[in-house]
Amino acid sequence: MGQERFSDVVERFTNGYASAAAAAQASPETIGQWQVELDRNLKRLQNLHAMLTSPVEPRTGQTPREEIYKKNKSRLYRYASPRTHRTPLLFVPNLGISRPYIFDLLPHGSFVEYMTGQGFDFYLLDWGVFGPEDNDLTVEHCVTRILPRMVREVLESSGAPELTVLGYCMGAPVAASFLGSHPEVPVRNFINMAGPIDFTKVGLFGLWLAKDRFNVDRFVDTLGVIPADLVKAGFKLIKPTMDLSTSLNLWWNLWNDKYLEGFQALNKWANDYVAFPGEFFRQWVRDYYQENRLYRGELVMGGRRVDLKTITCPVFVVGAKEDYIAPPECVRALVDAVGSRDREYVELPGGHISLIAGRGAAVHCWPKVAGWLASRS
Amino acid sequence: MAETPATNQLFELWKRQFEEGTQAWTRLLGQQAPQAPAIDPAAFWRPVLNQGLETWARLFAQTPASPEMLTQWKQFLDQWIDAWSRALGQTMGTEQFARLINQQLDAMLTAQAPLKKAFDQQVEQALQTFNLPSRAQLTGVARQIVELEDRIERMEDTLGAVLRRLEAREPR
Repeated sequence: MGQERFSDVVERFTNGYASAAAAAQASPETIGQWQVELDRNLKRLQNLHAMLTSPVEPRTGQTPREEIYKKNKSRLYRYASPRTHRTPLLFVPNLGISRPYIFDLLPHGSFVEYMTGQGFDFYLLDWGVFGPEDNDLTVEHCVTRILPRMVREVLESSGAPELTVLGYCMGAPVAASFLGSHPEVPVRNFINMAGPIDFTKVGLFGLWLAKDRFNVDRFVDTLGVIPADLVKAGFKLIKPTMDLSTSLNLWWNLWNDKYLEGFQALNKWANDYVAFPGEFFRQWVRDYYQENRLYRGELVMGGRRVDLKTITCPVFVVGAKEDYIAPPECVRALVDAVGSRDREYVELPGGHISLIAGRGAAVHCWPKVAGWLASRS
Repeated sequence: MAETPATNQLFELWKRQFEEGTQAWTRLLGQQAPQAPAIDPAAFWRPVLNQGLETWARLFAQTPASPEMLTQWKQFLDQWIDAWSRALGQTMGTEQFARLINQQLDAMLTAQAPLKKAFDQQVEQALQTFNLPSRAQLTGVARQIVELEDRIERMEDTLGAVLRRLEAREPR
Protein backbone atom coordinates (compact mmCIF):
# COMPACT_ATOMS: atom_id res chain seq x y z
CA MET A 1 0.00 0.00 0.00
CA GLY A 2 2.81 2.39 1.08
CA GLN A 3 3.52 5.57 -0.81
CA GLU A 4 0.26 6.42 -2.54
CA ARG A 5 -1.96 5.82 0.41
CA PHE A 6 0.30 7.81 2.65
CA SER A 7 -0.03 10.95 0.48
CA ASP A 8 -3.81 10.44 0.31
CA VAL A 9 -3.98 10.38 4.05
CA VAL A 10 -1.78 13.45 4.35
CA GLU A 11 -4.04 15.28 1.96
CA ARG A 12 -7.18 14.25 3.79
CA PHE A 13 -5.56 15.27 7.01
CA THR A 14 -4.63 18.74 5.78
CA ASN A 15 -8.06 19.21 4.18
CA GLY A 16 -9.80 18.12 7.36
CA TYR A 17 -7.61 20.43 9.41
CA ALA A 18 -8.42 23.39 7.20
CA SER A 19 -12.14 22.69 7.32
CA ALA A 20 -11.98 22.86 11.11
CA ALA A 21 -12.36 26.61 10.72
CA ALA A 22 -15.96 26.00 9.82
CA ALA A 23 -16.56 24.33 13.14
CA ALA A 24 -19.93 24.19 14.75
CA GLN A 25 -20.30 25.58 18.24
CA ALA A 26 -19.23 23.30 21.07
CA SER A 27 -22.08 21.59 22.91
CA PRO A 28 -22.39 21.89 26.73
CA GLU A 29 -21.36 18.24 26.93
CA THR A 30 -18.08 18.94 25.10
CA ILE A 31 -17.42 21.95 27.30
CA GLY A 32 -17.97 19.73 30.34
CA GLN A 33 -15.51 17.19 29.00
CA TRP A 34 -12.90 19.90 28.50
CA GLN A 35 -13.43 21.06 32.07
CA VAL A 36 -12.80 17.53 33.34
CA GLU A 37 -9.66 17.40 31.20
CA LEU A 38 -8.49 20.74 32.58
CA ASP A 39 -9.02 19.52 36.15
CA ARG A 40 -7.05 16.40 35.34
CA ASN A 41 -4.19 18.46 33.98
CA LEU A 42 -4.10 20.57 37.12
CA LYS A 43 -4.06 17.38 39.20
CA ARG A 44 -1.28 16.00 37.00
CA LEU A 45 0.85 19.06 37.66
CA GLN A 46 0.12 18.90 41.40
CA ASN A 47 1.09 15.23 41.60
CA LEU A 48 4.19 15.78 39.47
CA HIS A 49 5.26 18.60 41.77
CA ALA A 50 4.67 16.40 44.82
CA MET A 51 6.61 13.52 43.26
CA LEU A 52 9.60 15.73 42.51
CA THR A 53 9.71 17.84 45.66
CA SER A 54 8.54 15.42 48.37
CA PRO A 55 8.76 11.84 47.12
CA VAL A 56 6.97 9.30 49.32
CA GLU A 57 8.60 5.95 50.00
CA PRO A 58 6.00 3.36 48.97
CA ARG A 59 5.11 0.91 51.74
CA THR A 60 5.56 -2.44 50.07
CA GLY A 61 5.36 -5.91 51.63
CA GLN A 62 2.73 -5.17 54.27
CA THR A 63 1.21 -8.63 54.70
CA PRO A 64 2.14 -9.83 58.23
CA ARG A 65 4.85 -12.50 58.25
CA GLU A 66 7.31 -14.18 60.55
CA GLU A 67 10.84 -15.31 59.86
CA ILE A 68 10.99 -19.08 60.21
CA TYR A 69 14.56 -19.75 59.26
CA LYS A 70 17.67 -18.02 57.98
CA LYS A 71 20.74 -19.35 56.28
CA ASN A 72 23.45 -16.86 55.40
CA LYS A 73 21.57 -14.22 53.36
CA SER A 74 18.52 -16.40 52.63
CA ARG A 75 15.37 -16.14 54.71
CA LEU A 76 12.24 -18.25 54.94
CA TYR A 77 9.10 -16.30 55.80
CA ARG A 78 5.72 -17.66 56.77
CA TYR A 79 2.56 -15.73 55.96
CA ALA A 80 -0.21 -17.00 58.19
CA SER A 81 -3.59 -17.90 56.71
CA PRO A 82 -6.95 -19.27 57.89
CA ARG A 83 -5.46 -22.51 56.51
CA THR A 84 -8.44 -24.08 54.89
CA HIS A 85 -6.02 -26.20 52.85
CA ARG A 86 -3.75 -28.63 54.60
CA THR A 87 -0.75 -28.54 52.27
CA PRO A 88 1.60 -25.58 52.75
CA LEU A 89 3.02 -23.76 49.75
CA LEU A 90 6.71 -22.95 49.34
CA PHE A 91 7.27 -20.10 46.90
CA VAL A 92 10.69 -20.15 45.20
CA PRO A 93 11.38 -16.91 43.32
CA ASN A 94 14.39 -15.88 41.24
CA LEU A 95 17.81 -15.48 42.82
CA GLY A 96 19.51 -12.16 42.09
CA ILE A 97 18.01 -9.72 39.53
CA SER A 98 15.22 -8.33 41.74
CA ARG A 99 13.73 -8.41 45.24
CA PRO A 100 10.74 -10.62 46.08
CA TYR A 101 8.50 -7.85 47.51
CA ILE A 102 6.90 -7.70 44.05
CA PHE A 103 4.80 -10.68 45.21
CA ASP A 104 3.49 -8.65 48.13
CA LEU A 105 3.54 -5.21 46.57
CA LEU A 106 0.57 -3.39 48.11
CA PRO A 107 -2.51 -4.31 50.14
CA HIS A 108 -5.25 -5.54 47.78
CA GLY A 109 -2.66 -5.96 45.07
CA SER A 110 -0.56 -8.79 46.43
CA PHE A 111 -0.19 -12.40 45.31
CA VAL A 112 0.82 -13.42 48.83
CA GLU A 113 -2.21 -11.71 50.36
CA TYR A 114 -4.49 -13.35 47.79
CA MET A 115 -3.14 -16.84 48.37
CA THR A 116 -3.29 -16.56 52.16
CA GLY A 117 -6.82 -15.20 51.79
CA GLN A 118 -7.67 -18.37 49.87
CA GLY A 119 -6.51 -20.43 52.81
CA PHE A 120 -3.01 -21.50 51.71
CA ASP A 121 -0.24 -21.51 54.30
CA PHE A 122 2.31 -19.48 52.32
CA TYR A 123 6.08 -19.71 52.76
CA LEU A 124 8.33 -17.35 50.83
CA LEU A 125 11.98 -18.10 50.23
CA ASP A 126 13.88 -14.82 49.99
CA TRP A 127 17.29 -15.69 48.58
CA GLY A 128 18.64 -12.34 49.80
CA VAL A 129 21.05 -9.74 48.49
CA PHE A 130 24.46 -11.23 47.93
CA GLY A 131 27.85 -9.59 48.39
CA PRO A 132 31.40 -10.47 47.29
CA GLU A 133 31.68 -12.91 50.22
CA ASP A 134 28.98 -15.06 48.54
CA ASN A 135 30.79 -15.21 45.24
CA ASP A 136 31.36 -18.96 45.54
CA LEU A 137 27.65 -19.71 45.81
CA THR A 138 26.54 -21.90 42.91
CA VAL A 139 23.21 -23.16 41.57
CA GLU A 140 24.28 -26.56 42.86
CA HIS A 141 24.69 -25.16 46.38
CA CYS A 142 21.17 -23.70 46.21
CA VAL A 143 19.75 -27.01 44.99
CA THR A 144 21.62 -29.36 47.30
CA ARG A 145 22.11 -27.25 50.45
CA ILE A 146 19.59 -24.41 50.68
CA LEU A 147 16.39 -25.85 49.17
CA PRO A 148 16.42 -29.17 51.10
CA ARG A 149 16.83 -27.20 54.32
CA MET A 150 14.01 -24.81 53.44
CA VAL A 151 11.68 -27.71 52.58
CA ARG A 152 12.43 -29.36 55.91
CA GLU A 153 11.73 -26.10 57.75
CA VAL A 154 8.39 -25.67 55.93
CA LEU A 155 7.31 -29.22 56.83
CA GLU A 156 8.40 -28.80 60.45
CA SER A 157 6.79 -25.40 60.84
CA SER A 158 3.48 -26.42 59.25
CA GLY A 159 3.33 -29.93 60.66
CA ALA A 160 2.15 -31.12 57.24
CA PRO A 161 3.46 -34.35 55.68
CA GLU A 162 3.69 -32.84 52.19
CA LEU A 163 4.14 -29.45 50.54
CA THR A 164 3.49 -27.67 47.27
CA VAL A 165 6.46 -26.06 45.52
CA LEU A 166 5.78 -23.02 43.35
CA GLY A 167 8.68 -21.72 41.30
CA TYR A 168 8.54 -18.37 39.57
CA CYS A 169 10.94 -17.24 36.82
CA MET A 170 14.43 -18.58 37.53
CA GLY A 171 13.01 -20.12 40.72
CA ALA A 172 11.12 -22.66 38.60
CA PRO A 173 14.13 -24.32 36.87
CA VAL A 174 16.05 -24.19 40.16
CA ALA A 175 13.11 -25.83 41.96
CA ALA A 176 12.74 -28.33 39.09
CA SER A 177 16.46 -29.19 39.43
CA PHE A 178 15.89 -29.78 43.13
CA LEU A 179 12.78 -31.94 42.68
CA GLY A 180 14.35 -33.82 39.76
CA SER A 181 17.36 -34.78 41.90
CA HIS A 182 15.53 -35.36 45.21
CA PRO A 183 12.66 -37.75 44.44
CA GLU A 184 12.36 -38.53 48.17
CA VAL A 185 11.04 -35.02 48.91
CA PRO A 186 7.32 -35.26 49.83
CA VAL A 187 6.08 -32.81 47.23
CA ARG A 188 2.35 -32.88 46.59
CA ASN A 189 2.21 -30.39 43.71
CA PHE A 190 4.66 -28.45 41.58
CA ILE A 191 3.76 -25.19 39.88
CA ASN A 192 5.94 -23.44 37.34
CA MET A 193 5.07 -19.82 36.67
CA ALA A 194 7.01 -18.21 33.82
CA GLY A 195 10.05 -20.38 34.48
CA PRO A 196 12.18 -21.38 31.47
CA ILE A 197 12.81 -25.10 31.11
CA ASP A 198 13.84 -25.64 27.48
CA PHE A 199 16.55 -23.02 27.04
CA THR A 200 16.79 -23.47 23.29
CA LYS A 201 13.52 -21.51 23.07
CA VAL A 202 14.37 -18.78 25.53
CA GLY A 203 14.40 -15.81 23.15
CA LEU A 204 16.77 -12.86 23.14
CA PHE A 205 18.75 -13.77 26.26
CA GLY A 206 19.36 -17.20 24.78
CA LEU A 207 20.66 -15.62 21.58
CA TRP A 208 22.89 -13.11 23.34
CA LEU A 209 24.30 -15.63 25.82
CA ALA A 210 25.01 -18.37 23.23
CA LYS A 211 28.24 -20.26 23.80
CA ASP A 212 29.94 -19.24 20.55
CA ARG A 213 29.46 -15.54 21.33
CA PHE A 214 29.38 -15.04 25.08
CA ASN A 215 32.43 -16.11 27.09
CA VAL A 216 30.96 -16.54 30.55
CA ASP A 217 34.27 -17.59 32.11
CA ARG A 218 36.01 -14.43 31.02
CA PHE A 219 33.03 -12.39 32.19
CA VAL A 220 32.95 -13.88 35.70
CA ASP A 221 36.74 -14.02 36.05
CA THR A 222 37.01 -10.30 35.29
CA LEU A 223 34.02 -8.99 37.20
CA GLY A 224 33.66 -11.41 40.10
CA VAL A 225 30.21 -10.42 41.29
CA ILE A 226 27.89 -9.51 38.40
CA PRO A 227 26.98 -5.94 39.42
CA ALA A 228 23.35 -4.91 39.79
CA ASP A 229 23.86 -2.11 37.25
CA LEU A 230 24.95 -4.60 34.61
CA VAL A 231 21.97 -6.84 35.34
CA LYS A 232 19.76 -3.76 35.01
CA ALA A 233 21.38 -2.81 31.70
CA GLY A 234 20.69 -6.30 30.33
CA PHE A 235 17.03 -6.17 31.26
CA LYS A 236 16.62 -2.61 29.95
CA LEU A 237 18.21 -3.64 26.66
CA ILE A 238 15.78 -6.48 26.12
CA LYS A 239 12.90 -3.96 26.01
CA PRO A 240 14.41 -0.57 25.13
CA THR A 241 11.08 1.24 24.75
CA MET A 242 9.88 0.21 28.20
CA ASP A 243 10.96 3.42 29.98
CA LEU A 244 9.36 5.55 27.29
CA SER A 245 6.00 3.81 27.48
CA THR A 246 6.17 3.80 31.30
CA SER A 247 6.73 7.57 31.32
CA LEU A 248 3.93 8.14 28.82
CA ASN A 249 1.49 6.03 30.84
CA LEU A 250 2.56 7.79 34.01
CA TRP A 251 1.78 11.21 32.52
CA TRP A 252 -1.54 9.97 31.18
CA ASN A 253 -2.63 8.60 34.56
CA LEU A 254 -0.86 11.10 36.78
CA TRP A 255 -4.18 12.66 37.88
CA ASN A 256 -5.25 9.31 39.37
CA ASP A 257 -3.97 8.93 42.96
CA LYS A 258 -4.67 5.20 43.05
CA TYR A 259 -2.64 4.67 39.86
CA LEU A 260 0.14 6.81 41.27
CA GLU A 261 0.35 4.73 44.43
CA GLY A 262 0.67 1.54 42.38
CA PHE A 263 3.17 3.15 40.02
CA GLN A 264 5.44 4.33 42.83
CA ALA A 265 5.51 0.88 44.41
CA LEU A 266 6.15 -0.87 41.10
CA ASN A 267 8.71 1.71 40.04
CA LYS A 268 10.60 1.25 43.29
CA TRP A 269 10.78 -2.49 42.64
CA ALA A 270 11.59 -2.06 38.93
CA ASN A 271 14.72 -0.07 39.78
CA ASP A 272 15.81 -2.19 42.71
CA TYR A 273 18.16 -4.63 40.98
CA VAL A 274 20.27 -7.21 42.77
CA ALA A 275 23.75 -8.50 41.87
CA PHE A 276 24.45 -12.12 40.92
CA PRO A 277 27.09 -14.13 42.79
CA GLY A 278 29.77 -14.78 40.17
CA GLU A 279 29.86 -18.59 40.39
CA PHE A 280 26.09 -18.80 40.38
CA PHE A 281 26.01 -16.76 37.17
CA ARG A 282 28.70 -18.94 35.60
CA GLN A 283 26.81 -22.17 36.27
CA TRP A 284 23.43 -20.65 35.41
CA VAL A 285 24.58 -19.40 32.03
CA ARG A 286 26.74 -22.39 31.12
CA ASP A 287 24.56 -25.29 32.30
CA TYR A 288 21.12 -23.84 31.65
CA TYR A 289 21.38 -21.24 28.86
CA GLN A 290 24.32 -22.50 26.84
CA GLU A 291 24.09 -26.27 27.24
CA ASN A 292 20.42 -26.74 28.15
CA ARG A 293 21.46 -29.49 30.56
CA LEU A 294 18.29 -29.43 32.66
CA TYR A 295 16.00 -30.19 29.76
CA ARG A 296 18.42 -32.68 28.21
CA GLY A 297 18.73 -34.56 31.51
CA GLU A 298 22.50 -34.03 31.72
CA LEU A 299 22.60 -31.98 34.89
CA VAL A 300 24.33 -33.51 37.92
CA MET A 301 23.92 -31.85 41.32
CA GLY A 302 25.54 -33.12 44.50
CA GLY A 303 26.39 -36.36 42.71
CA ARG A 304 22.77 -36.95 41.70
CA ARG A 305 21.49 -36.73 38.15
CA VAL A 306 18.62 -34.29 37.65
CA ASP A 307 15.89 -36.23 35.91
CA LEU A 308 12.67 -34.32 35.31
CA LYS A 309 10.91 -37.62 34.62
CA THR A 310 11.18 -38.43 38.34
CA ILE A 311 8.75 -35.57 39.04
CA THR A 312 5.48 -37.49 39.23
CA CYS A 313 3.31 -35.20 41.35
CA PRO A 314 0.59 -33.05 39.74
CA VAL A 315 2.23 -30.28 37.71
CA PHE A 316 0.72 -26.94 36.70
CA VAL A 317 2.58 -24.73 34.23
CA VAL A 318 1.65 -21.11 33.60
CA GLY A 319 3.09 -19.16 30.68
CA ALA A 320 2.51 -15.51 29.77
CA LYS A 321 1.58 -14.66 26.19
CA GLU A 322 3.77 -11.54 25.96
CA ASP A 323 6.67 -12.80 28.05
CA TYR A 324 9.93 -11.84 26.31
CA ILE A 325 12.15 -13.01 29.20
CA ALA A 326 10.74 -16.55 29.37
CA PRO A 327 8.66 -17.02 26.20
CA PRO A 328 5.67 -19.41 26.62
CA GLU A 329 7.22 -22.18 24.50
CA CYS A 330 10.27 -22.54 26.78
CA VAL A 331 8.04 -22.57 29.88
CA ARG A 332 5.58 -25.04 28.39
CA ALA A 333 8.36 -27.60 27.88
CA LEU A 334 8.02 -28.75 31.50
CA VAL A 335 4.66 -30.37 30.79
CA ASP A 336 6.24 -32.86 28.39
CA ALA A 337 9.42 -33.30 30.40
CA VAL A 338 7.93 -34.49 33.72
CA GLY A 339 6.68 -37.97 34.51
CA SER A 340 3.37 -36.79 36.01
CA ARG A 341 0.03 -38.03 34.79
CA ASP A 342 -1.82 -35.00 36.17
CA ARG A 343 -0.26 -32.11 34.27
CA GLU A 344 -1.70 -28.95 32.80
CA TYR A 345 -0.46 -25.94 30.90
CA VAL A 346 -2.23 -22.60 30.64
CA GLU A 347 -1.16 -19.53 28.73
CA LEU A 348 -2.47 -16.30 30.21
CA PRO A 349 -2.44 -12.72 28.97
CA GLY A 350 0.37 -10.49 30.21
CA GLY A 351 4.13 -10.30 30.38
CA HIS A 352 6.75 -11.77 32.68
CA ILE A 353 5.90 -9.47 35.60
CA SER A 354 2.26 -8.66 34.87
CA LEU A 355 1.57 -12.41 34.97
CA ILE A 356 1.99 -12.36 38.74
CA ALA A 357 1.73 -8.71 39.81
CA GLY A 358 -0.82 -6.03 39.05
CA ARG A 359 -4.50 -5.77 38.18
CA GLY A 360 -4.33 -8.22 35.27
CA ALA A 361 -2.74 -10.88 37.46
CA ALA A 362 -5.51 -10.54 40.05
CA VAL A 363 -8.08 -11.19 37.32
CA HIS A 364 -6.38 -13.79 35.12
CA CYS A 365 -3.65 -15.56 37.03
CA TRP A 366 -4.16 -15.73 40.80
CA PRO A 367 -7.65 -17.29 40.71
CA LYS A 368 -6.42 -19.83 38.17
CA VAL A 369 -3.47 -20.90 40.33
CA ALA A 370 -5.55 -20.95 43.53
CA GLY A 371 -8.33 -22.87 41.78
CA TRP A 372 -6.00 -25.54 40.43
CA LEU A 373 -4.25 -25.88 43.77
CA ALA A 374 -7.37 -25.89 45.97
CA SER A 375 -8.60 -29.25 44.72
CA ARG A 376 -5.12 -30.77 45.16
CA SER A 377 -4.19 -29.42 48.60
CA MET B 1 -10.45 23.27 -0.75
CA ALA B 2 -7.11 24.88 -1.42
CA GLU B 3 -4.12 22.63 -2.01
CA THR B 4 -1.49 22.64 0.70
CA PRO B 5 1.70 21.82 -1.20
CA ALA B 6 3.94 23.13 1.57
CA THR B 7 2.51 20.72 4.11
CA ASN B 8 2.69 17.84 1.66
CA GLN B 9 6.27 18.72 0.82
CA LEU B 10 7.14 18.80 4.49
CA PHE B 11 5.58 15.40 5.10
CA GLU B 12 7.30 13.95 2.04
CA LEU B 13 10.63 15.34 3.18
CA TRP B 14 10.17 13.98 6.69
CA LYS B 15 9.02 10.59 5.37
CA ARG B 16 12.00 10.32 3.04
CA GLN B 17 14.40 11.30 5.79
CA PHE B 18 12.84 8.71 8.09
CA GLU B 19 13.05 5.93 5.53
CA GLU B 20 16.64 6.78 4.62
CA GLY B 21 17.53 6.88 8.31
CA THR B 22 16.08 3.44 9.01
CA GLN B 23 17.79 2.03 5.92
CA ALA B 24 21.10 3.49 7.06
CA TRP B 25 20.71 1.87 10.47
CA THR B 26 19.74 -1.41 8.88
CA ARG B 27 22.86 -1.31 6.71
CA LEU B 28 25.00 -0.39 9.71
CA LEU B 29 23.76 -3.37 11.69
CA GLY B 30 24.55 -5.64 8.81
CA GLN B 31 20.97 -6.51 7.91
CA GLN B 32 21.95 -6.79 4.28
CA ALA B 33 24.06 -9.89 4.89
CA PRO B 34 23.58 -12.58 2.27
CA GLN B 35 20.88 -15.17 3.05
CA ALA B 36 19.46 -12.99 5.84
CA PRO B 37 15.80 -12.19 5.18
CA ALA B 38 15.41 -8.53 4.30
CA ILE B 39 13.86 -6.58 7.15
CA ASP B 40 11.77 -3.52 6.44
CA PRO B 41 11.59 -1.52 9.68
CA ALA B 42 9.50 1.09 7.85
CA ALA B 43 6.75 -1.52 7.59
CA PHE B 44 6.14 -1.09 11.31
CA TRP B 45 5.65 2.62 11.46
CA ARG B 46 3.90 3.19 8.11
CA PRO B 47 0.56 1.60 9.08
CA VAL B 48 0.75 3.34 12.42
CA LEU B 49 1.27 6.72 10.79
CA ASN B 50 -1.51 6.02 8.31
CA GLN B 51 -3.93 5.06 11.02
CA GLY B 52 -2.95 7.99 13.23
CA LEU B 53 -3.31 10.54 10.48
CA GLU B 54 -6.64 9.03 9.41
CA THR B 55 -7.95 9.36 12.94
CA TRP B 56 -6.76 12.92 13.28
CA ALA B 57 -8.22 13.90 9.92
CA ARG B 58 -11.53 12.37 10.97
CA LEU B 59 -11.44 14.15 14.29
CA PHE B 60 -10.63 17.53 12.79
CA ALA B 61 -13.40 17.02 10.28
CA GLN B 62 -15.87 16.35 13.12
CA THR B 63 -15.27 19.60 14.91
CA PRO B 64 -15.70 21.01 17.48
CA ALA B 65 -12.68 19.34 19.00
CA SER B 66 -13.37 17.28 22.11
CA PRO B 67 -10.96 15.77 24.70
CA GLU B 68 -11.51 12.53 22.79
CA MET B 69 -8.72 13.65 20.48
CA LEU B 70 -6.27 13.49 23.38
CA THR B 71 -7.20 9.83 23.85
CA GLN B 72 -6.65 9.28 20.16
CA TRP B 73 -3.28 11.01 20.43
CA LYS B 74 -2.32 8.74 23.35
CA GLN B 75 -3.37 5.69 21.34
CA PHE B 76 -1.30 6.90 18.43
CA LEU B 77 1.76 7.31 20.68
CA ASP B 78 1.19 3.85 22.19
CA GLN B 79 1.07 2.33 18.73
CA TRP B 80 4.12 4.30 17.67
CA ILE B 81 6.10 3.05 20.68
CA ASP B 82 4.84 -0.47 20.07
CA ALA B 83 5.91 -0.29 16.42
CA TRP B 84 9.40 0.86 17.45
CA SER B 85 9.52 -1.86 20.08
CA ARG B 86 8.74 -4.53 17.49
CA ALA B 87 11.22 -3.06 15.00
CA LEU B 88 13.97 -2.90 17.63
CA GLY B 89 13.04 -6.38 18.86
CA GLN B 90 13.48 -7.74 15.37
CA THR B 91 16.84 -6.03 14.98
CA MET B 92 18.02 -7.19 18.40
CA GLY B 93 16.99 -10.72 17.57
CA THR B 94 19.58 -11.01 14.79
CA GLU B 95 22.93 -12.77 14.88
CA GLN B 96 24.61 -9.51 13.89
CA PHE B 97 23.24 -7.63 16.87
CA ALA B 98 24.14 -10.44 19.28
CA ARG B 99 27.70 -10.39 17.91
CA LEU B 100 27.81 -6.59 18.15
CA ILE B 101 26.82 -6.40 21.82
CA ASN B 102 29.18 -9.20 22.73
CA GLN B 103 31.99 -7.36 20.97
CA GLN B 104 31.12 -4.27 23.02
CA LEU B 105 31.09 -6.34 26.19
CA ASP B 106 34.45 -7.86 25.30
CA ALA B 107 35.91 -4.42 24.69
CA MET B 108 34.56 -3.29 28.06
CA LEU B 109 36.11 -6.27 29.83
CA THR B 110 39.44 -5.77 28.07
CA ALA B 111 39.53 -2.15 29.18
CA GLN B 112 38.19 -2.84 32.65
CA ALA B 113 40.38 -5.76 33.74
CA PRO B 114 43.74 -3.90 33.98
CA LEU B 115 42.06 -0.76 35.34
CA LYS B 116 40.28 -2.71 38.06
CA LYS B 117 43.47 -4.52 38.99
CA ALA B 118 45.47 -1.29 39.22
CA PHE B 119 42.74 0.47 41.19
CA ASP B 120 42.40 -2.42 43.65
CA GLN B 121 46.17 -2.44 44.21
CA GLN B 122 46.24 1.31 44.84
CA VAL B 123 43.34 1.14 47.29
CA GLU B 124 44.89 -1.83 49.09
CA GLN B 125 48.21 0.01 49.45
CA ALA B 126 46.49 3.15 50.73
CA LEU B 127 44.50 1.19 53.30
CA GLN B 128 47.64 -0.65 54.41
CA THR B 129 49.38 2.68 54.96
CA PHE B 130 46.61 3.74 57.34
CA ASN B 131 46.57 0.30 58.98
CA LEU B 132 42.99 -0.32 57.83
CA PRO B 133 41.55 -3.62 56.60
CA SER B 134 41.05 -3.91 52.87
CA ARG B 135 37.85 -5.01 51.15
CA ALA B 136 39.45 -8.33 50.29
CA GLN B 137 40.33 -8.94 53.94
CA LEU B 138 36.80 -8.11 55.10
CA THR B 139 35.36 -10.34 52.40
CA GLY B 140 37.67 -13.10 53.58
CA VAL B 141 36.36 -12.77 57.15
CA ALA B 142 32.75 -12.77 55.91
CA ARG B 143 33.49 -15.91 53.87
CA GLN B 144 34.88 -17.63 56.94
CA ILE B 145 31.69 -16.79 58.84
CA VAL B 146 29.58 -18.21 56.00
CA GLU B 147 31.69 -21.40 56.04
CA LEU B 148 31.38 -21.68 59.81
CA GLU B 149 27.60 -21.29 59.57
CA ASP B 150 27.57 -24.02 56.96
CA ARG B 151 29.64 -26.34 59.14
CA ILE B 152 27.40 -25.77 62.18
CA GLU B 153 24.40 -26.52 60.05
CA ARG B 154 25.91 -29.76 58.80
CA MET B 155 26.67 -30.75 62.40
CA GLU B 156 23.07 -29.93 63.35
CA ASP B 157 21.84 -32.11 60.51
CA THR B 158 24.07 -35.02 61.52
CA LEU B 159 23.05 -34.65 65.18
CA GLY B 160 19.39 -34.50 64.20
CA ALA B 161 19.74 -37.65 62.09
CA VAL B 162 21.48 -39.50 64.94
CA LEU B 163 18.81 -38.42 67.43
CA ARG B 164 16.03 -39.50 65.11
CA ARG B 165 17.68 -42.89 64.65
CA LEU B 166 18.06 -43.29 68.42
CA GLU B 167 14.44 -42.31 68.99
CA ALA B 168 13.32 -44.82 66.43
CA ARG B 169 15.41 -47.55 68.09
CA GLU B 170 14.29 -46.84 71.67
CA PRO B 171 10.67 -45.73 71.69
CA ARG B 172 9.60 -44.20 75.02
